[in-house]
Amino acid sequence: MALLLLQLDESVTGLFGQWNIWTSALFTVFAGFLTYQFVTRQDPDTHPFLLARQAQGSPVRQPGESPVYRPQGAPHGMPLNAGLNVKEPGASKWSRGRDGDLRDVWRQAIAGVQDDGPNKGKTGRILTVLGTDKAIEHSLEDVTRQINLIGQHIADQGGNRVAIYLPNSVELIATLFACAFHNLTAVILPFDEPTDAVISMLRRSAADTVVTAPGSFPFDVVVKNYPSLRQLVWVVDEGSKHLDWNEVPEGTGGAVNVSTWQDIINDSPVDAGKELPSLEGQREPRDITVFWQSKPGQQEEMVRFTSANLVSGIAAQLFALPTAQRLSPADVFLPADSLANTHTLVLTLTALFSNASVAFNSVAAQADDLAIATRGSPSPTVLVATPAALLKTHKESLARINASFLSRTLHRLQVRRIAQSGVFPNPAENNKKLRLILTAERAGADTPLLTTSVLGDLRVLTGARIMYALTAAKVAGAVAQTAFYDYRVYESANGGAAGGESEAHFGPPVTSTEILFRDSGVHKTGDEGSRGEIIVRGPSVAGNEAALGVVGRTRADNTIAYV
Amino acid sequence: MDYVQQRVAQMASQTDTSSSALLTPLNAILLSLLAYTAYAFLLRPAPPPPSLPAEEPAVVFRTFTPRTLLPYNGADGSPVYLAVRGRVFDVSRGRNFYGPGGPYENFAGRDASRGLACGSFDEEMLTKDLDGALDSLEGLEASELEALRGWEERFEEKYLVVGRLVAVGEEEK
Repeated sequence: MALLLLQLDESVTGLFGQWNIWTSALFTVFAGFLTYQFVTRQDPDTHPFLLARQAQGSPVRQPGESPVYRPQGAPHGMPLNAGLNVKEPGASKWSRGRDGDLRDVWRQAIAGVQDDGPNKGKTGRILTVLGTDKAIEHSLEDVTRQINLIGQHIADQGGNRVAIYLPNSVELIATLFACAFHNLTAVILPFDEPTDAVISMLRRSAADTVVTAPGSFPFDVVVKNYPSLRQLVWVVDEGSKHLDWNEVPEGTGGAVNVSTWQDIINDSPVDAGKELPSLEGQREPRDITVFWQSKPGQQEEMVRFTSANLVSGIAAQLFALPTAQRLSPADVFLPADSLANTHTLVLTLTALFSNASVAFNSVAAQADDLAIATRGSPSPTVLVATPAALLKTHKESLARINASFLSRTLHRLQVRRIAQSGVFPNPAENNKKLRLILTAERAGADTPLLTTSVLGDLRVLTGARIMYALTAAKVAGAVAQTAFYDYRVYESANGGAAGGESEAHFGPPVTSTEILFRDSGVHKTGDEGSRGEIIVRGPSVAGNEAALGVVGRTRADNTIAYV
Repeated sequence: MDYVQQRVAQMASQTDTSSSALLTPLNAILLSLLAYTAYAFLLRPAPPPPSLPAEEPAVVFRTFTPRTLLPYNGADGSPVYLAVRGRVFDVSRGRNFYGPGGPYENFAGRDASRGLACGSFDEEMLTKDLDGALDSLEGLEASELEALRGWEERFEEKYLVVGRLVAVGEEEK
């Protein structure tokens, strides 16, 4: 017994007798590492189970169709998110508000934040970004005045259906609101289109008034080919406003009443148009017509949205952001995609309704380059970008990173860490302002797909979270959208971690839509899961139901993906 | 006590053996510990994200005739269906009431509209002719129709509508 003890004692003493300077150093590193790991450990941003099943299928399905999928935020048996819940000042916090319409978006934008808190009463700013370092701020009172005067002018001149052919600009949004407030039907045309496309869109939408910018609108040709045009409002640049735009060239456009935006504003009394038309006794909101561009060379699809469709799309986007991450007056929202695109428009209206600052950048309309779209001041915190622009950024940045072994390894570690821990580093810690990128696949329009691994790379490269949506012609806002806290990266079985093919998905339906799959050809719902042509229903869908014409399926986590 | 004395003597006689070598057994142990923790925290592939058990496949909505509804009476563990005003409810969760041996067992696999309206569980409340027209609910009083609506609302809350009931020969309508 004593011998055994002795041996044990000796070996332990012997072992620790070897303690030297190296041992101390190693021990310090070891203890430091453990402490660091435990101190910096964070819970995932959201519960993993919430990502493991993101939508709920209905328990009963119709023959030839899949179950109906609803997001967690709008379970079966509950109404889908239809409105903005607008409350009159002083109304009880718990009372149910109106669904509202576009007018309420602008009223909210000028009223400022209503919720109690440090931001109460703060409003966002509206900016036009010019070049790289110049931004003009438009006061909300001025924009309100423009909305009133332009709307009044067009209505007085007998306008009814107002086509807006402008790049992303304050005037585009102001005209849209002017139409909403003055009982006019707005028609938003995609900008920078060939002349015959413009004429065809004017004809199909039966517009009688056009608000546009000189230089981009082929006035003579349109007047010759489209005699129904009654009225034209030029939005003139600062630089060329000294020219007399009201003068119509001899022999053309005799019947067309031409005026300029600046004259309408400046010729009115200073006090005119400061108050919005009152809420009481306002007419039913009119429809908004947009054109959906699918593949190049195909005719644009004309879609009429009711104001309720748009408002429902906005409500779903408001709901898509967690309470702690909502847009606020501290945010600068930049749409780097055309506002003629309904998804971008709905997001911009959402930002206005959330009292975020909105920056308009006219080059953004076609810019497939994120760097150009975002380099102006102030730098955006929330950005709407096209998948093509994101892919370009991804390709260029990755080429730079892959050049060195060290940066490549570091990048991979970061991507992995975010994807696996479910914790997103606070953008402010990385000295980055951009916190959210919104991007969307356009169903049937050949937009490049963003796989989860590309999105994972982009999260690290930009330091911003990314929400990837599926959009379609007949749906205001998004059909489906990835969750705010979803950073998972899926490598497909054959690709592996070496950067091969990876899956792309569009998250669950948003709270204003429900999705089902109708059997189509070989794609049938069966034991192996739901698949078929994507059908979407809900208050944000024009006509309440639309078939997207693309074949989709649900993944194991009930997110929507293409087959 | 011997042992303690022995050890003290041993330690006293020991010469200083400490060295500054890196690769002593103690350091080797520490190094391997460090390497393992670094691997465990940084490099080990994370467990796959949690997945929930697969959902039950959805029931396909069907069109029943009185005759095809008949087998769903809960016998031998089959589902219990009953029809109210042309809608077929899956009342399997209420098997104790609607299944075999329950107070409402006559309704299982049948059109229960008239019975529910009259609050009677008797056989004569059921439509006899399975191939004939559906019960048009003629002759019911307003209070009885009111009672039927109450039942329907309860069913809508609790049970799933899994199909519709039509007379034989009207399946395609």
